[in-house]
Amino acid sequence: MTEALFAMDDVTVALRSNGRKMVTGVGLSVKPGEAFGVVGESGSGKTLLTRTVFGLQDDAELVSGRVRFDGQLLPEQGYARAARKLLGGRIGFVPQDPFSSLNPTMRVGKQITEALYLARGMPMGAQRTKARAIEVLGEVGIPEPELAFNQFPDQFSGGMRQRIVFAIALAQEPKLLIADEPTTALDAITQRRVIELMLGRCRSHGMALILISHNLELLRQSVDRIAVLYGGQLHNITHADDIGSRTVHPYTEALFECIPSKEKTLADIRAIPGEPVGAGFGTKGCAFASRCRYAEPICRETQLPLNGDQPGRFSACLLGRGADA
Amino acid sequence: MSGHPIVSLKGVAKTFGKRLLVQNRSFALSDIDITVGRGEVVGILGESGSGKSTVANIVTRLTGFDAGTYLFDGADVSAFDKKEGFRFKSRVQIVFQDPYGSLNPRATVAASIMEGLVLHRPEMDKATRRARVAQLLDEVGLPADCGDRYPHEFSGGQRQRIAIARALAVEPELLVLDEPLSSLDVSIQAQVLELFVKLIGERDLTIIFISHDVNVVRLICDRVYVMHQGRIVEEGSAEDVLTHPRNAYTERLLAAVY
Repeated sequence: MTEALFAMDDVTVALRSNGRKMVTGVGLSVKPGEAFGVVGESGSGKTLLTRTVFGLQDDAELVSGRVRFDGQLLPEQGYARAARKLLGGRIGFVPQDPFSSLNPTMRVGKQITEALYLARGMPMGAQRTKARAIEVLGEVGIPEPELAFNQFPDQFSGGMRQRIVFAIALAQEPKLLIADEPTTALDAITQRRVIELMLGRCRSHGMALILISHNLELLRQSVDRIAVLYGGQLHNITHADDIGSRTVHPYTEALFECIPSKEKTLADIRAIPGEPVGAGFGTKGCAFASRCRYAEPICRETQLPLNGDQPGRFSACLLGRGADA
Repeated sequence: MSGHPIVSLKGVAKTFGKRLLVQNRSFALSDIDITVGRGEVVGILGESGSGKSTVANIVTRLTGFDAGTYLFDGADVSAFDKKEGFRFKSRVQIVFQDPYGSLNPRATVAASIMEGLVLHRPEMDKATRRARVAQLLDEVGLPADCGDRYPHEFSGGQRQRIAIARALAVEPELLVLDEPLSSLDVSIQAQVLELFVKLIGERDLTIIFISHDVNVVRLICDRVYVMHQGRIVEEGSAEDVLTHPRNAYTERLLAAVY
């Protein structure tokens, strides 16, 4: 088995203001070149977890757990700063909203060359840096990249802007790209193009991708493995192909049954009763037990298991559903 | 029952004043022909900027149009006098996308649901109205004691149920649903979808369902109009159009959907 490029182990995220533990005991690892999905409903903690782990969330902190990237263990002291340092260099980040993540007063080209300078210093010289920026714009499918280089973000549509953000992230040749709901603001046709662009980059350059989404069907069709978060707990890590074909964690199963995808008829769609539990459920009992069709009394009382060193898959189900390897 | 279709739009067009800040997007409509018969569930499918919400606003008379005709139950809405215009409001109801913005935060749930009854069914006494509210809440799957509470006490899915109960209160002949699932969580979307399926089965509803979600439209609509850049590019039975599209745009859209 190949060494993980990125791994977190028993990570717990708490709010700085009141110390409330929002995301508890998450362990997962991503291999080089792997496309990895993180799915959860709003409030499941998926964004808080990623933003904190990469040092972007000021009001939350890592209170326990270890994070490893490219063979290096991130320090406990000054964690956020150390994590933040990796971003923009070996790790690229594409945030959700392409309308607020670009500087509206700066030409597109400058935003890319700036990222290159910040990541590498100035070894290439202005001409070659510019050439590289134009090359990346072309790689992400911006038509007439030479022209785009001198334009401002507002001259582009949402999909094109997201490509520019992607180009900025790619300019530094990251080993890992984190994309947090990168296509939520885009329409269906553009969404698929942007997702396929990212997956194409994984295949062609061996870049690993962590794709965060609320859309399980999108992830199922796109990535290799999926981590499922609910109530701030990690419930399941499963191969994408297993969803809908083998026994997975009851929440993953229920979430999949909610989605009206292409092959389904009305009879195939089964809603989950009740309301989603927000992040911060803690570790005593399974957060999904209140809505789970298989739930038994022990589900509410037992400590939720952590993801140990299991190779590909994990199910936190206290009844053992989806745990067979 | 009259033989007229309930909604008949012919050659309807609308242009907006030039919008300097909104480039590359046509919000205008041109040459829209839509017919909705009684008892039909008709989908209007399109991406953002396709003009589908403008169609919803024209059908509900929330906005006007520049050309073409709109016949509601055989009568030209442009020629409505004040009384007919008022009556129209109880014949057509709409449920909006955002359940956080569409309910009056200072009115109790019961007051919001009752408002239409007070205005349009003045003959109804208070006790009957109360009973009607309780029955509607039950029908949309909310406990009866919800009536005395305020919208902020409810989750998005529950608020959308309240908005549906409010729209159904006056027993409209046409219900327009403008992206009613889009702002809800995945598991809640399925709950509200189940509610629509139940309501369609139990009541004799005529629905215009505005959505960008191909799969939802395929599942609950009888017929569909596909919109793109302010025009209708394809229409037909939902099952047919959304499995064997003939239009190039519809085809691209279907290929892109997950």
